[in-house]
Amino acid sequence: MNNSVLNRTKEDLRVTVKELSDTYEELSLLYRLTEEFSGLGVDEICRLLLKEVTSLLDAKTAVVLFLGEEGDHLYTKVCFGDWDRNTTFRCKDNFLWDALHKKRTITICNTNDTGREPSNFNCNSVLIAPLTGKRKTIGLVMVADKTSGDAFYSGDMKLLTAITSQAALFIENAMLGQEMQFFLTGTIRSFVKALEASSRWTAGHTERVTRYAIALGRLLGLTSQELEKLRIASLLHDMGKIATPKEILNKADKLSDDELFEVKRHPIVGAEILSELKGFTEIIEWIKYHHEHYDGTGIHGLKGEEIPMMARILAVADAFDALTSDRPYRKRKTLEEAVREIKNSTGSHFDPKVVEAFLEWVDSSDDVISSDPEVDF
Amino acid sequence: MSKVIIIDDEPFILMMIEDKLKRAGLEVISLRESRSAIDVIRKEKPNLIILDWMMPEVSGIEICKAIKSDPDLASIPIFMLTAKGQEDDEKLGIKCGVERYITKPFSPRILMETVLEQLGIKQN
Repeated sequence: MNNSVLNRTKEDLRVTVKELSDTYEELSLLYRLTEEFSGLGVDEICRLLLKEVTSLLDAKTAVVLFLGEEGDHLYTKVCFGDWDRNTTFRCKDNFLWDALHKKRTITICNTNDTGREPSNFNCNSVLIAPLTGKRKTIGLVMVADKTSGDAFYSGDMKLLTAITSQAALFIENAMLGQEMQFFLTGTIRSFVKALEASSRWTAGHTERVTRYAIALGRLLGLTSQELEKLRIASLLHDMGKIATPKEILNKADKLSDDELFEVKRHPIVGAEILSELKGFTEIIEWIKYHHEHYDGTGIHGLKGEEIPMMARILAVADAFDALTSDRPYRKRKTLEEAVREIKNSTGSHFDPKVVEAFLEWVDSSDDVISSDPEVDF
Repeated sequence: MSKVIIIDDEPFILMMIEDKLKRAGLEVISLRESRSAIDVIRKEKPNLIILDWMMPEVSGIEICKAIKSDPDLASIPIFMLTAKGQEDDEKLGIKCGVERYITKPFSPRILMETVLEQLGIKQN
């Protein structure tokens, strides 16, 4: 092999190894991002995406633009650098839409030279990559102006495309998760409305009990995930009353034994109705046992710690609202009277630890029963 | 000039690290098989060893144990390359005196920075 051929081969090998190294760099980055993206919400993914691309591509400005619901405009979702976060783009005849329609990354060395809208663009050299999920186009990522003043290279384009395609899948998944959460919240609220429509006496009870239970849960040191479950359980705790005849719920006189049995059955009926919700096993248990007595004299005979903690919290929250609300057969009690009744039932009806938290809450809160209950998800 | 020995049975990984280190001005010895590793290390006395954990014949951890039990070689720092999901083995490696763990696929750029930092070489 003569020298020139040998040198050429050496050079080829050098370039191949360099390419290999770049590809491996990209692979390691995608591995890392896959780990970092998983479990994050939409905004967090977008922020992390911008952090990575600005650092890797040495860019001054970067922005994630989402396609509006009607598909007729792009709006700023998350931005970094010199960018007005209220920026939107309506006109379809501009280079931003090219990347969307062609579904591929495009680069423009000088945006003013395009002679196309948006002409009042603050950025000069840009790279634009579409965020395309499996189901739909989400929007795009734009990276603008290297701090070094250089233009973007094909390697930058490749890298942005790789990161953006990965991010798009995670964003789409997070969006689906969000949609499911909204759907769940809506369904639960509809259940509550259906229930409260059956008796004016129970109107507002669910939301108040939820507010009280969450306040107690916080004092008892529950985690945010536990609080979220407690919130759902509280909203659904009286679901079984949907099967209790209206005449019984609205009856002004003393209930007969049969009628009382009907009312007392509501935690079991509620658990039966909700048993179709497969992911709610724990929550259904809490609902089923929310009228158990701490000393074991309740319907199912569970005692002390055998009763789930959340059910013990619900019991106090539920009783407190019942005592401080008007009923067809009696007027509501004052705060002091209600607190006294709950204290008197400590250890027999209620868990002493929960009552302790309840008393602490009553002492420290100015608007225990007066404020308008609002339960946000 | 600092001397680095890389031992990995994956030729591409070996070529890639070797290329990066040489560009940084380091002397590099690459080994694709692990049997002769200890002999080469004894002979060359490198400033750093980059070692793949999972290799046929003699594994990275066996080489590491042999190095750390030899008073002449024990002070040489070792970077261990491990596959994803092998994190539990880190404890064993730390016991054996591994300086750093690098999980594959790693960033060649970050590996370089780490190597230069270990060798006390200032980066541009």
